[in-house]
Amino acid sequence: MVTLNPFDLVAAIPLLPLMAFLITLFAGQFAPSLLPKRGAIPGILALSGSLLISLSLILPVYSGYSFNKSAYLWAKWEVSDLHFGFLIDPLSALMLVIVSLISLLVFIHSLGYMNDQNEQGLFRYYAGLSLFSFSMLSFVISDNLLMSFIFFELIGFCSWILIGFWFREDAPPRAATKAFLVTRFGDYFFLIGVVAVLVIFGTANFAGPNSFPVLAKSAILLGQNLHGLNPQTWVTIIGLLILGGVVGKSAQFPLHTWLPDAMEGPTPVSALIHAATMVAAGVYLVARMYGFYALSPTTLAVIALIGGLTALLAATMATVKHELKQVLAYSTISQYGYIMLSLGAGGYVAGIFHLTTHAIFKALLFLGAGAVIIAMHHDGDMWNMGGLREKLPVTYWSFVFGSLALAGIFPFAGFWSKDEVLLEALNYGLGGSPILLVGYVFGLMAVFVTGFYTFRMVSLTFHGSPRSKAAKDPHSIRWNIKLPLVVLGILSLVAGAINMVPLGDFLGSDISYLHHWLDTAPLDLTAHHYHELLESFSGYHSAHFSSIISAILSLTIALSGMALAWKIYESPNPTESGTIYSTRFNTIYHILTHNYYQDDYQLMIANLIRNKFATVANLFDQKYVDGLINKISSTSLSVSNVIRKIQTGVVTNYVFFLSLGLLLILFVFAVWGGWF
Amino acid sequence: MVPISYYVLLSAAIFSIGLFGVLTRRNALMFLISIELMLNAANLNFVAFSTLHGNLTGQVFSLFVLALAAAEVAVGIGIILVLHRNFSSIDVTKAVTLRW
Repeated sequence: MVTLNPFDLVAAIPLLPLMAFLITLFAGQFAPSLLPKRGAIPGILALSGSLLISLSLILPVYSGYSFNKSAYLWAKWEVSDLHFGFLIDPLSALMLVIVSLISLLVFIHSLGYMNDQNEQGLFRYYAGLSLFSFSMLSFVISDNLLMSFIFFELIGFCSWILIGFWFREDAPPRAATKAFLVTRFGDYFFLIGVVAVLVIFGTANFAGPNSFPVLAKSAILLGQNLHGLNPQTWVTIIGLLILGGVVGKSAQFPLHTWLPDAMEGPTPVSALIHAATMVAAGVYLVARMYGFYALSPTTLAVIALIGGLTALLAATMATVKHELKQVLAYSTISQYGYIMLSLGAGGYVAGIFHLTTHAIFKALLFLGAGAVIIAMHHDGDMWNMGGLREKLPVTYWSFVFGSLALAGIFPFAGFWSKDEVLLEALNYGLGGSPILLVGYVFGLMAVFVTGFYTFRMVSLTFHGSPRSKAAKDPHSIRWNIKLPLVVLGILSLVAGAINMVPLGDFLGSDISYLHHWLDTAPLDLTAHHYHELLESFSGYHSAHFSSIISAILSLTIALSGMALAWKIYESPNPTESGTIYSTRFNTIYHILTHNYYQDDYQLMIANLIRNKFATVANLFDQKYVDGLINKISSTSLSVSNVIRKIQTGVVTNYVFFLSLGLLLILFVFAVWGGWF
Repeated sequence: MVPISYYVLLSAAIFSIGLFGVLTRRNALMFLISIELMLNAANLNFVAFSTLHGNLTGQVFSLFVLALAAAEVAVGIGIILVLHRNFSSIDVTKAVTLRW
């Protein structure tokens, strides 16, 4: 009997969407009539396949098997061999399921959002989505940092294609270019980090006895001197360089500015970017090489502070936005801030947990927003909505589920994960790393703001009375939009069950399944191992603060934020004048609507640098490049003015010169031949 | 047998006379004659060294030079005719329109 190794089909997970990409692209270009549903079908089939294979990996991985294999050596280099390979461990298996599930649901949702709205050139859209899924799945299963970097870039490229899908309009191409350039700015640092890893450790593998986190650890233990610096310094430098790419992709302060603009793309694309692919790639990378980050307390503190600050700043910016999708965009930034805070504060499991639940409820909220925008005849302004509760019951209830999860209300998924993030920050902060407490306070303040903006959004969109013609008579929505909403709505209610730490502490039983799941990894990738690294290398010690008190605290704060939003906006005709945005808070309101002037100052710096550079380049061009050419022509002109005088027209003179030349040659030969 | 240096000296003398003629004469016909002298100086060298080395290549080559000289004279006289028609003189220092 032939037994099928569960990991035989791993390569098919990314390759199926790649095939869908090629089929959709070429069939769409050369034989559109062969393409049912204008290109959606190949992608849906491919991602169903990927999802099934990913799900089939769960059992073997849970039984303790893992898969780490170099598949294709594409360059031999004296420093290190460069290869593509697969690494399937609990972390990547979980991420594969999330990515393929969300991508599949986004494809189905697109049938309603794009096909039913008669968009043109849809094969381009579906090809882009397939390529996007391919890049992200490949990124997830990468077994080395260089391969990660390659697919990291491909993800950025796909986001550029998809955000700028409506390229005939003005704003989308700009937003796409901005997203591309801002993330690229971070990626420069990432690239330098990759090269540094290769040069210093001689390998970029994530796992195994010869992986760079393991080598870095033993170098620190042995006190080796690597290229003139001690290894701890190298780990910090490289960690911060790679963090540059993470900050760009995961839209962390100060490189978050691209993400709100990226809302110009189609809403399903936003769901994909925010929930499962592009933005998740950054924090996934930190989790993937956590054994490396855990070695450097400085880098961890930077990650935690960036995360906490981003969580708070982005949440406050979300409170004043008018567009539904803008609110969600800032909430994504804020939630990824939590994940970063968690990873920086030593909460590896909590970070993965929040990544998982966030993927579910943020996909839900974006797809819900897509449904609302269709119903509103493509108007995303919340002030024109209102009263959609009765007209769109399925959308409403799933959206409320997503919102409750986002705000972190018991018993929805976001409650468990956000609470664990805060608990970890508090525990390690009290346990000897006081700087994490700063992150914790930021995070706790952001909980209040999150509760506030979430229910401002729900109230304005669904409650009250309709404030426009479109809201009175919304466009109907079909099953292909409702199905993903229902699936994700149920998931966002129950997904918290994978790691209910406070409930476990309350009942006195151990029900943190995600923790056990991540501990089934190979030895150097387990949560337990990371915990040991944190303790011995970064001085992180847990204070074992009561998870129940922490949970009650954050829940109370979230509820009070909700209550405030309820009080202000829950009326038939809500208004923002006369409330907290009145003249008393005018300055704050102004700063928030301008996003803390982040865009303005970044643009200023960029312009300054560009202008300076352009001036110097122009000077160089004018003076040296053009100058050289002008000099050559003027010199040859003046020289020829002199030389042409010998053209007298008298044959005798020419013969004279010829004879002179002959004599000269004879003379040279004579000297050469040694006659004199 | 006459030593080779005599032939070489003779040919150098004839060549120099030809060169002198080209440099000093103004009459185009004298030019042609002078060039003829130079060519034959070269021929003399060819034949002399050919005999010295017992190799016929030089003698064959001198035949080529003779043929070339004949052709050159034909063209040269054609040019002189045209020169006379245009400038009504065959003085080469008069025909100086082709200059800077």
